[in-house]
Amino acid sequence: MEVGEPIPTSWEIAPGADALTLEDPLARKKPLSEWTEDSLVLGIETSCDETSAAVVKGGREILSNVIVSQGELHGEYGGIVPEIAARQHVEALTPVIREALFRADVTFWDLDGVAATLGPGLIGSLLVGVAEGKSIAAVLDIPFVGVNHLEGHVYSNLLAHKDAEFPAVCLIISGGHTLLVHALGHGDYEVLGSTIDDAAGEAFDKVARFLGLDYPGGPEIDRLSLLGDGNAIRFPRAMVDEPGFDVSYSGLKTAVINYVRNAQSRGEQVSVEDVAASFQQAVVDIQVTKTMAAALHAGVDRVFLCGGVAANSGLRQGLAEACESRMLKLFVPPMELCTDNAAMIAACGTAMFKRGLRHDLDASPDPNLSLA
Amino acid sequence: MLVLGIETSTPQASVAIGSEQGVVASALVSRGASYNEFLLPAIGFCLDQAGIGYRNLGAVAVDVGPGLFAGMRVGVATAKALAQALSVPIVGITSLDLLAYDVRYASKTICAVLDARRNEVFDAFYRTSPGGVQRMTDYRVEKPGQLAIGIASRPEEVLMVGSGALLYRDAFEDLGTVVEVGGMAHAFPEAKSLVELSLPRLFREDFDPPDQLVPLYLRRSAAPIKWETIRGTKSA
Ligand SMILES: [Zn+2]
Repeated sequence: MEVGEPIPTSWEIAPGADALTLEDPLARKKPLSEWTEDSLVLGIETSCDETSAAVVKGGREILSNVIVSQGELHGEYGGIVPEIAARQHVEALTPVIREALFRADVTFWDLDGVAATLGPGLIGSLLVGVAEGKSIAAVLDIPFVGVNHLEGHVYSNLLAHKDAEFPAVCLIISGGHTLLVHALGHGDYEVLGSTIDDAAGEAFDKVARFLGLDYPGGPEIDRLSLLGDGNAIRFPRAMVDEPGFDVSYSGLKTAVINYVRNAQSRGEQVSVEDVAASFQQAVVDIQVTKTMAAALHAGVDRVFLCGGVAANSGLRQGLAEACESRMLKLFVPPMELCTDNAAMIAACGTAMFKRGLRHDLDASPDPNLSLA
Repeated sequence: MLVLGIETSTPQASVAIGSEQGVVASALVSRGASYNEFLLPAIGFCLDQAGIGYRNLGAVAVDVGPGLFAGMRVGVATAKALAQALSVPIVGITSLDLLAYDVRYASKTICAVLDARRNEVFDAFYRTSPGGVQRMTDYRVEKPGQLAIGIASRPEEVLMVGSGALLYRDAFEDLGTVVEVGGMAHAFPEAKSLVELSLPRLFREDFDPPDQLVPLYLRRSAAPIKWETIRGTKSA
């Protein structure tokens, strides 16, 4: 710039900036209140170690559900490493979203809303999904909603079964959570009880680790249980005879460890299969008893089983038998909807949109978000 | 070309929108910022004030650190998602390059230093070159004392800039007159510089592959934490 030459004061939009090959989003924009059976919601789930994105139509039809699991990365540590999980989400989420749109055969501009898990979960992981979900909603000028991860699990059953409806009693059981919830309607939940110490899935993993099984331990114990006798060892069923719907698993875990150590110190041969089967039987007995009591208390005739431990064959069978004898209808999602996935987040988000809920673009994740 | 710059790798967060003609809008906060709360409302504010929309943006530039992990992750994730939804290129630039670029007119060796917490700093050395700066060393994380030894071993005068230089200035100024510590105005990288520094790369079409763009952590992920300490936060 020469001396005396005026400093430019008007900032023109540079040539080319308008020549983006984007469709005009306003051209197909619907009024916000119009949530129909054709509305498309992008779901994003990054609360723990699964990176997932999904496109769900009308809240009930899964067009795509892409899940990238980090299991192998954490296996060598025998548990989730939050920093590793957070780093993986930053790398994986963008391609996972692209893949979800591709498999659903839609573009960004077809979307009507974005839903991402707000909590509970690992903060470093949650903030990646919330940041990306809000960004996409901002660019497309469509609503964003943050979803409670636990409520999302409940919706896995609504996605999987056309006849699944509220009210219902939901057993949400996973590596991080074990709770019994009375779902009266969409967004209307009463927590009846929860674990007072370890989550059920956590107890599975800890016992598996003690028995020297591979991580994640839940499926391994389930596999060994089929080879063992569930009545071989009588492990304690803590709190099962007490009123209320809370459960406790730290005592059971200790009892298993003590049993194996004592047997070994006496020089006895321990059957890993019998220990696994007897431990699993104790968990199933506790959860079935409490779930049946909760259904009776709530006066519902529907039971939803959801969460990662819903994949356990013993629990599925135990609950199925108990529900059948009491004329209760049991809903269990397919395996791919038991583990953390974005389709359930999109389904839950759609139900929230339909009720007129949305979050502003300053929404932040809440690692301790509670249900109800 | 209008570029959106996103800088959230330090306790200060800023966004700026600008082109080769200059910055058209910017927003900055240094206190109490939750990156997720600040970032998108700030971008929306800048777009509104400049009278433009997302679709006028031609590229996204992001500070990839080194810096605070949570900030880097929010910044990089936001930038990647915006670029993806807009179908525009993305460019990542390091926080230390930004700091050094801001003081490129100094006729000294430049040492950009950011507070890395845990009594450590992130640093790199630069020499000025026509129109910019040239990095001479790797990006490092080290104790301030180690950096002081490194500086003392240099024959030339050094200008230190950044929050790490200010925080540990006693350790560096003890080295005598060969060291000058830059002022508060250069404590943190800013999105304005990010926009400026990204333009040459954008014109060269030297974009980053979006899937490979990740924060520059410089630290290995923390040692595996004990299973017991993450109870209630794992889910599946
Ligand atoms: Zn879960």
